[in-house]
Amino acid sequence: MALPYIMLTILWLALIAYAVLGGADFGAGVWDLLYVGNKDISRRRHEFINHALGPVWEANHVWLIFLIVGLFTAFPTVFSTLSIVLFLPFTLALIGIVLRGAAFVFRVYGTRSDKYGALIWGGVFSFASAITPFILGASAAAVASGRIQVSSVNIQADMTGATWLTPFAIVIGLMAVALCAVLSSVYLSVEAEQAGDTELEQLFRLRAIIAGAITAVLGALGLILSSSEATLLWRGMLAHALPVVIVTMIVGLATAAALFTRHYRIARVLVIVETAGLLGSWGISQLPYLIPPSMTVEGAANSPGVLQVLLVGTIIGMALLLPSLYYLFSVFKLPYPAPGKEPAAANNDSLRYNKD
Amino acid sequence: MSDLLAARAQMGTSLAFHIIFASLGVGLPLLMCIAEGLALRRKDPVWMALTRRWARASAILFAIGAVSGTILSFELGLLWPTWIKFAGAVVGPAFAFEGFAFFLEAIFLGLYLYGWDRLSPRAHWLCSFPIWISGLASAWFIVSTNSWMNSPAGFVIKNGQVTNIDPLQAMFNPSTPYETTHMILACYVATGFAVAAVYGWSMLRGKRDSYHRKALMLGLALGAIAIPLQIVSGDANARFLATSQPAKLAAMEGLFHTTSGAPLEIGGLADPNTGKVYFAIEIPKGLSFLATFNPNATIRGLDSFPANDRPNPLPVHTSFDGMVASGFFALLVGWLFWLIYFLRKRKVPENRLLLIGIVLAGPLSFLAIELGWMVTELGRQPWVIYGYLRTADAVTTAPWLNISFLVFSFIYVILAIALIFFLLRLARTPLPKMEWAEVATGKSLAQDQGIAV
Repeated sequence: MALPYIMLTILWLALIAYAVLGGADFGAGVWDLLYVGNKDISRRRHEFINHALGPVWEANHVWLIFLIVGLFTAFPTVFSTLSIVLFLPFTLALIGIVLRGAAFVFRVYGTRSDKYGALIWGGVFSFASAITPFILGASAAAVASGRIQVSSVNIQADMTGATWLTPFAIVIGLMAVALCAVLSSVYLSVEAEQAGDTELEQLFRLRAIIAGAITAVLGALGLILSSSEATLLWRGMLAHALPVVIVTMIVGLATAAALFTRHYRIARVLVIVETAGLLGSWGISQLPYLIPPSMTVEGAANSPGVLQVLLVGTIIGMALLLPSLYYLFSVFKLPYPAPGKEPAAANNDSLRYNKD
Repeated sequence: MSDLLAARAQMGTSLAFHIIFASLGVGLPLLMCIAEGLALRRKDPVWMALTRRWARASAILFAIGAVSGTILSFELGLLWPTWIKFAGAVVGPAFAFEGFAFFLEAIFLGLYLYGWDRLSPRAHWLCSFPIWISGLASAWFIVSTNSWMNSPAGFVIKNGQVTNIDPLQAMFNPSTPYETTHMILACYVATGFAVAAVYGWSMLRGKRDSYHRKALMLGLALGAIAIPLQIVSGDANARFLATSQPAKLAAMEGLFHTTSGAPLEIGGLADPNTGKVYFAIEIPKGLSFLATFNPNATIRGLDSFPANDRPNPLPVHTSFDGMVASGFFALLVGWLFWLIYFLRKRKVPENRLLLIGIVLAGPLSFLAIELGWMVTELGRQPWVIYGYLRTADAVTTAPWLNISFLVFSFIYVILAIALIFFLLRLARTPLPKMEWAEVATGKSLAQDQGIAV
């Protein structure tokens, strides 16, 4: 495989990682926004989400940074062009990302002692969590639709939404929000089951199924709209991306089946595959273009020398990163105890240290 | 405001905000690593209580650092698309490597902040090492990209196209050793004195116990070791500028005319309209001597550059002198403290005036960082990539930059207010009883959220 395509694959995998990790964090906020009802469950769900996100959200968020720097290193003109054309949606998404991250820590700190602080920052957190994936999804749709012309000398910012507020873009934006909601409710079902909280488990399961159905409907709608609004994507979906599209649809159904039968761990794996399939089919179907209809992968790639350095650095970086990431999730997300620690000794750290 | 000015204002505000958290992100993990190491080695509840307190403050500080860093990475494209096309192509890998370093930092930070009850004490302590090491690495990588803007290397311009790119040569450009050292030391100086200032303030208000003394001493130890190295590094920087960016040096020193045996102007206002420095203390031949060790050497003044290639010496000279003055003040305070400490046979000096000095040195050290960046950035103007790309040519064509600047400024104000509120509340929470069993199994962040882990 040519160097630009290797780098593109790495970036796309990072995009998938951001979607399945960061996306789920967004989804958790979406559920906060939608929930009204029993106070006790609401509080428990709230704290459950804080607990699930606390240790990992910052690491999840870094995938986005990696994506941006990777993009402007491997494909400088693509990042530069998108930054101009999509100035407004990117700025809005950025504001959403910033407010969400800050609001989350503030909310965690405000939970116990400060009612109004928790309320305000909780509101900001959930609102920003819903808006941001919508804008990111709509921006992705703007790229896929082929409406971003880069052949002209003077690239102009699209401040009116001609590229990123089309019916197609709106549908894809909504689909992104729904997908985040699915991801988070599936993960939270697993964690609620582990914690032995049946009530929350039921709550998240039901939500996962509903949001999954909505995602499927929006996905179908997006596909239909793409036949007229994003013709290049549509043709790709029916041609070289067809196998991925079919697998993605089957996996979607399998996810629903796993949730119905309460096989949450299987559902978690499946929903990750599903997300990878959705993003993968988008990427594959618009090949060889990065920004259709004029900017190709090869044409936009940085010089081979830089890509080589970047690739070597990425391999070294991943060799450090992936085990660390596994360690992080093994400590906070896997059921078995972390390395270097017997579960029974949880409250005897000091005593254990004395024996050392 | 013109679009260019709005974009510069937004970028400047973003950097000025982020650099505080970035510096603490480099310095605080080292302090936590030392404090926790001491706590475990001596089974000292006071060191452990300090570590835990700092970890809780770090949770907020680092989150704000992460989001403000995200703003910057977006702004590189949103405000300066032409610049990022150039810089991304040549020195992009340094950004990418910084991304990895930051990633590792975030991962181990999650483990460190939330893993008190899930990791053995030793494993927990070991998690602090990757945090400060990757903090150091990310500072190095990111400052190397700024160095590249000051002394661009690793590419050739042929027919208007950037070719023959060598990203490693770009990363290790001539300015890199000077700038990276200076910034990393600055992180340690500022964090050390900031920590000392926080506890010095409490001691001024009567809290003179072992908890406050230990924190004060650790902060001042870091600060007092780093600050003389920093002054040496700063001197090397200035000397390097004499050959690498003479226009910047001339602006820093308020030197309008090329002069043999140039004097050193301390303080004062360098007025570019009249070409004079007002109200300055002048040391004859001082600049020539400092820059070359030869009191009669010729130093290039601003007039040796075309008018549209000159930086404005007024803010650059003032910022430079402010930075140097803050640095020397911190040096004085830090060394005085340790001098008295050792003269008095290892008794912590609690003299009121000295404590006031320590409290001042904290914010002044951060002021020095801000002013230092003003010198670097304003001193490079009108270029954004020195000699190759002008700032005015790098700015985006997107409209509404004034509104964007206002919105982001508003966000920073909100974040700052909320941050100060939460930090103050954290500072007011009562300390645990200083017994090892009590402190070592104290509440963690996760428990604070009301969930049994």
